[in-house]
Amino acid sequence: MSTKWSIFKTMAAAALLVAALPAQAGGRSRLRLTTDPDSVINERYHHRIHHLQSAWEKMIPSMVKLQYAGGMGMVSGGIGWDYGRSRQWETDFMMGFLPKFESDKAKLVLTLKENYIPWEVGLGRSDISLDPLTVSVYVTSIIADDFWTSQPERYPEGYYWFSTRFRLNLSLGQRLVFDIPENRRKLARNLTVFYEVGTNDFYLLSLWGNEYIKFKDILHLSLGLKFQIF
Amino acid sequence: MIKLYTLMAVALLALASCDDLFDYHPYDTDVDGEKGINAKNIVRIEQACKGRDTIRFVMMGDSHRSYDEEKALVKSVNRIAGLDFLIHGGDFSEYGVTKEFEWHRDILNGLNVPYVALIGNHDCMGDGEYAFKAIFGEENFSFVAGNVRFVCLNTNAFEYDYSNPVPNFGFIEECIMDVPAEVSKHVAVMHAPPYSEQFNNNVAKVFEYALTQLPGLQFCLHAHCHKLLQDTIFDDGIVYYGSDCVEHRNYLLFTIKPDGYEHEVVYF
Repeated sequence: MSTKWSIFKTMAAAALLVAALPAQAGGRSRLRLTTDPDSVINERYHHRIHHLQSAWEKMIPSMVKLQYAGGMGMVSGGIGWDYGRSRQWETDFMMGFLPKFESDKAKLVLTLKENYIPWEVGLGRSDISLDPLTVSVYVTSIIADDFWTSQPERYPEGYYWFSTRFRLNLSLGQRLVFDIPENRRKLARNLTVFYEVGTNDFYLLSLWGNEYIKFKDILHLSLGLKFQIF
Repeated sequence: MIKLYTLMAVALLALASCDDLFDYHPYDTDVDGEKGINAKNIVRIEQACKGRDTIRFVMMGDSHRSYDEEKALVKSVNRIAGLDFLIHGGDFSEYGVTKEFEWHRDILNGLNVPYVALIGNHDCMGDGEYAFKAIFGEENFSFVAGNVRFVCLNTNAFEYDYSNPVPNFGFIEECIMDVPAEVSKHVAVMHAPPYSEQFNNNVAKVFEYALTQLPGLQFCLHAHCHKLLQDTIFDDGIVYYGSDCVEHRNYLLFTIKPDGYEHEVVYF
């Protein structure tokens, strides 16, 4: 119990640190490269600091997401980073809430998610665009005592080959992006509504070799909102 | 643009036709469809068998990922004349995932006779135990069919710690102390047999002693081993019959009569 809880606490603290550190750095007034000939000797130092600051700056999350379902809990929220030539790659870190339903307690689900958005299509309006396809691969980790990464030691070797804690998920989706006019922006540059249709490793293994289980039985819908901060 | 919106709407509507639109987590225990199967089916079994001294039932188990084979099993079992009920000896699922229990439940609901479900070790994975309990029922239970009482026990000790007694001697004692007037015979049913790696083998002999205190113990039934077994495990004449897994396409058919019992293996 205590070890697992402490793992969660460590992860949460790390996430906070990652979120807080660059924000703090960004908020402070920046060191400027000076043209003062006396400080030429310090130019290397200034360069280094500049690189360090821009490296940390990249770690400021550029988006906030909210998602419903998708094997990540009932509702999950998190931060994300986008990168690539046309920001076609995204990495999300989400924390989901899973109600207890028939079990003994509610649980936390942590998700690390990678999204690929190959195209963007204009819709004849400057303020709305469509992402006709998104491809996502993500790993969820359910945080509770009865779930393990690999089977506990008491079992004979290979007794349970699978992890009950980690699930590998795949999904495809579409998005509509609504641009917020510059003069009306408060906390976000644009707002995206999206849906994803996906499944996970356990469901795919259940489908495999069975005619009774149909593809539609293992596909599930998820809905989401993305706030692009900058 | 309207075209694209329509396309997206159509795609969403197509999805809405899926059985279970949203999935929160494979282990979410958010059960769709029927719950409390054992309790409902026990009422049916007890009513249908009341006053009889001959009963006929099927023993099977370990359905795991064998959905197609289980469908074939249901078809085969539905052809047996004069059958009273079926016992699933546990390991419905492979991973203990909520959806697996729902799929197996839906297949077994195609049976013409009522069925009861025991919990297997795979059904305990993650939060599987909770989904199992919601859909099927308690881990230890008993029911009366005619003059025979079936005592069904959770024997998957490997999946529990000492906070949950497995096997539960308190429950067995209650059965010994409180025998309904119409009951003259007993059958004990479990998932994992004594001396399997799942069983609490420290108490194997005590367990056997307790079971033999049940008046008129005929034999014991188990699943778990994925092969047909017939053993007198304790040299006391009590036979343990082990059912095969569904994947191997066979099951056990028992007929308990006033002067004894018969059993056969049915392949499908």
